[in-house]
Amino acid sequence: MKQNTNNTTADRRGFLKNVAASVVAAGALVPVGLSAKDDPALMKEPEWGKKLGRPVDADPYGMPSPYEHNVERRVHELLSSGDMYASVAMCPIQDLDGIITPNGLFFSRCHGGVAIIDPNEYRLIIHGLVEKPLVLTLEQLKRYPSESRIHFIECPANGSTEWRAPQFDTLQFMKGMMSQAEWTGVKLSTLLKDVGVKPNAKWVLAEGSDDSHMGRTIPIEKIMDDAMVVWAQNGEALRPEQGYPVRLLVPGWEGNLNVKWLKRLKFGDKPWHAKEETSKYTMLTPTGKAVQFFWPMEVNSVITSPCPDKPWTDLKKGDIVEIQGLAWSGEGTIKGVDISFDGGKNWVEANLKGLVLPKAWTRFSYIYKWDGKPIVLSSRAYDDAGFVQPTITQEVSKMGVEGIYHRNAIVSWEVKANGEVHNVQVRDYEKEKKAIEKMQKGAKNA
Amino acid sequence: MLKLNKKISVFAAIAISFSVSAVAGEKDVKVKAPKVRAIDAATEYKVEKGVYAGVYKVNEQTSKIKKFGYGKKATPDEIKFNNIDVRYDWKGLPEGKGTVAEGEELYSKNCIMCHGDFGAGGKGYPVLAGGQGSLKNQLINPENGDEPPVKTIGSYWPYASTLFWYVKTGMPFPHPMSLTNDQTYAIVAYLLSLNDIQVGGEDLDDDTVLDKKKLMTVVMPNVNGFYPDVNAKNGADNMKKYLSKASNYGTQTVRCMKNCKPGKVIRIKHTLDEGIKPPLSEKRDLPKVKAGGAADNKYAKMFETNCKACHGNKAIAPVPGDKEAWAARIKQGKDTLYKHALKGFQGMPPKGGTNLPDADIKGIVDYMVSKSK
Ligand code: HEC
Ligand code: HEC
Repeated sequence: MKQNTNNTTADRRGFLKNVAASVVAAGALVPVGLSAKDDPALMKEPEWGKKLGRPVDADPYGMPSPYEHNVERRVHELLSSGDMYASVAMCPIQDLDGIITPNGLFFSRCHGGVAIIDPNEYRLIIHGLVEKPLVLTLEQLKRYPSESRIHFIECPANGSTEWRAPQFDTLQFMKGMMSQAEWTGVKLSTLLKDVGVKPNAKWVLAEGSDDSHMGRTIPIEKIMDDAMVVWAQNGEALRPEQGYPVRLLVPGWEGNLNVKWLKRLKFGDKPWHAKEETSKYTMLTPTGKAVQFFWPMEVNSVITSPCPDKPWTDLKKGDIVEIQGLAWSGEGTIKGVDISFDGGKNWVEANLKGLVLPKAWTRFSYIYKWDGKPIVLSSRAYDDAGFVQPTITQEVSKMGVEGIYHRNAIVSWEVKANGEVHNVQVRDYEKEKKAIEKMQKGAKNA
Repeated sequence: MLKLNKKISVFAAIAISFSVSAVAGEKDVKVKAPKVRAIDAATEYKVEKGVYAGVYKVNEQTSKIKKFGYGKKATPDEIKFNNIDVRYDWKGLPEGKGTVAEGEELYSKNCIMCHGDFGAGGKGYPVLAGGQGSLKNQLINPENGDEPPVKTIGSYWPYASTLFWYVKTGMPFPHPMSLTNDQTYAIVAYLLSLNDIQVGGEDLDDDTVLDKKKLMTVVMPNVNGFYPDVNAKNGADNMKKYLSKASNYGTQTVRCMKNCKPGKVIRIKHTLDEGIKPPLSEKRDLPKVKAGGAADNKYAKMFETNCKACHGNKAIAPVPGDKEAWAARIKQGKDTLYKHALKGFQGMPPKGGTNLPDADIKGIVDYMVSKSK
């Protein structure tokens, strides 16, 4: 494949742009022969035009073009709890278009490997403070009237390497612990009509049947509001990494609460305090005390083009370029996104595009004429729950730098004159330090 | 809709830039908040005229049906068998007993290879002891000698019930649900003793027997280390109150549009990028075939699910393909290797903790050896 030799990255935008440029340069009416302006790719019949393609029955289950093999989930040892069974594979969000993540690229976070469940042996058992404890097979579960909803799932540790300082120079590893799908299943408020929840039931323990026997507690209000038991993702059965055959869907809440390989729902009058709601998924603050049960994923956004993985190295001074990104909130619908070109000092409003749905990824866009000078690009989303993304210093001044989870501070990219893009942070360390020390001291006196 | 704060003039903004206290810029836009919030402080969406949240149509027949009647009633035995949780108020804790000494032995056989001597970690797996008094630490700048907080069972966990529940249902990592209640009591006793946690006001020594009654007296040192209080009668409402006030956790309600003061640009000093598992290639070309991909056979798959948790990490156990680690072992002869794999050998539990038939274990050993020659 020669046409792309001067393009070292696998950047499709750059690739298309080069081709487009050469097409224009070549003019429309070049006869036979090859002048310096001609694009060789257009001056020969390509191989694939001179022979039959693959038969339609070659791939009973289709796969992406083999040329797209670089677009994959990736891992890093530091993001594991010891090995690749308790770890996370990051979604290549820099390579995604629109708002739906293909199932094979959906981020995968596991606490004991990916269980492979025999659907014939699958059972959901519901018991505790209910009138009629219930057992359902997969077929019986799927008989309930279904609903489909588009929601993101995000691990609350998304971006957790960035509390102290910028550390990753790739979007995939900064924000790839999230993905979005159209989920199909039954609303729990519908299913639970068959068990009859008792009035003193205030909490639900959801438990998975994998190695980790993941247990998490959810308040009854959320269960009855929009929680679902789902079996399909983007039109097909859940992938094993997403909990095949059945997972819990808790729209907008911590990824970990969306218990995969769901086996048991138990109703009780108190929360349980499982390992993942005490040891983990709690945010330690500088007072030495930790916030527990911080359920929703807060309003957030990130520019996906450009980003360190998708730079502007193919652009020239004066080129027009679309800046775009993803905004999302687990607490509502995205109302708008602001963009800054000077690292957050001054802001303008970007445009939302495509579907704008509750608790879902929303695309934003801004058409920009780049003057070839270095800029620091930032995005800041706000939602219909009245929340606005904080600056790093605003967030750290309240939470410190050891909370691990729920980091939703503004992300900034430095675009250099040569078009390279790097992860930077805009923050006031002195101010943060003062605030942290004040919290530490206040706690000592208390 | 948007309320603009026009009171601060351009001149004031200039004046502010000289003063120390960073006041928001000249134009702040307050974002409209909803009147009613859901339990998580989110906007509450409803079905109105057959449309949910203004975007999804719903079939309203569904809401009118009182019962579907699918499935069957769970039997008491089914519930009992699957009722494996232990709540913070000890609901669900089974009977049983074990000593610290028994726990230490079990720990050496089943846990030490990952969690290290005395729970000290060291192999990337969680540390199980220590860290008391460190929770206020904030690692702001490593160059200043700042230390991070160390969160362990002893320093951080609020309830010992969680420890029993998790060890019983989640550990040992490669084959959970294999410990008896007595064994779990013994291991919990050992882990509590490693963390200097008292039972009934007394230190745990080797012969201390931990049983249900005694475990229920344990109060963890950090029991009051968490907020908001969700255990209260309407605990979820406490959470709602906390989440509704954005300033509790740094999130904002105002958009600063001009002359904001976010701070200085900080660039990457220490990158983590090197540790990323590299792609097959950086180019949009045809992929190179992964080496050894064809050797996938039955035993390779069985190895993956039954042995790799330990044998995939050379800090724990010899990794197939690591010729150096295997040379002396292979020299012992197949029979010895089979025996060690079947009956256990030092850190290697009998059958790797599985209950696979002997023939399969031998098949996997053959596969491990063939990869390592
Ligand atoms: C093969 C390695 C391995 C072995 C063997 C193992 N563990 Fe673990 N352990 C892990 C991993 C991995 C985690 C984290 C799992 C996760 O991410 O949810 C963990 C987590 C834990 C935790 C929670 C720590 C915390 O602070 O959150 C405890 C307690 C624990 N293990 C106890 C044990 C005990 C007791 C045994 C022996 C009976 C054991 N483990 C055997 C790998 C192992
Ligand atoms: C809990 C961790 C663990 C698991 C799971 C495990 N092993 Fe091991 N294995 C070890 C350790 C540790 C050693 C090294 C023992 C030593 O030499 O001290 C070992 C050694 C071995 C050896 C070499 C014995 C020798 O004489 O040198 C064989 C063969 C072996 N394991 C087979 C298996 C098989 C087959 C499985 C899966 C069915 C398995 N192991 C699962 C920890 C484990």
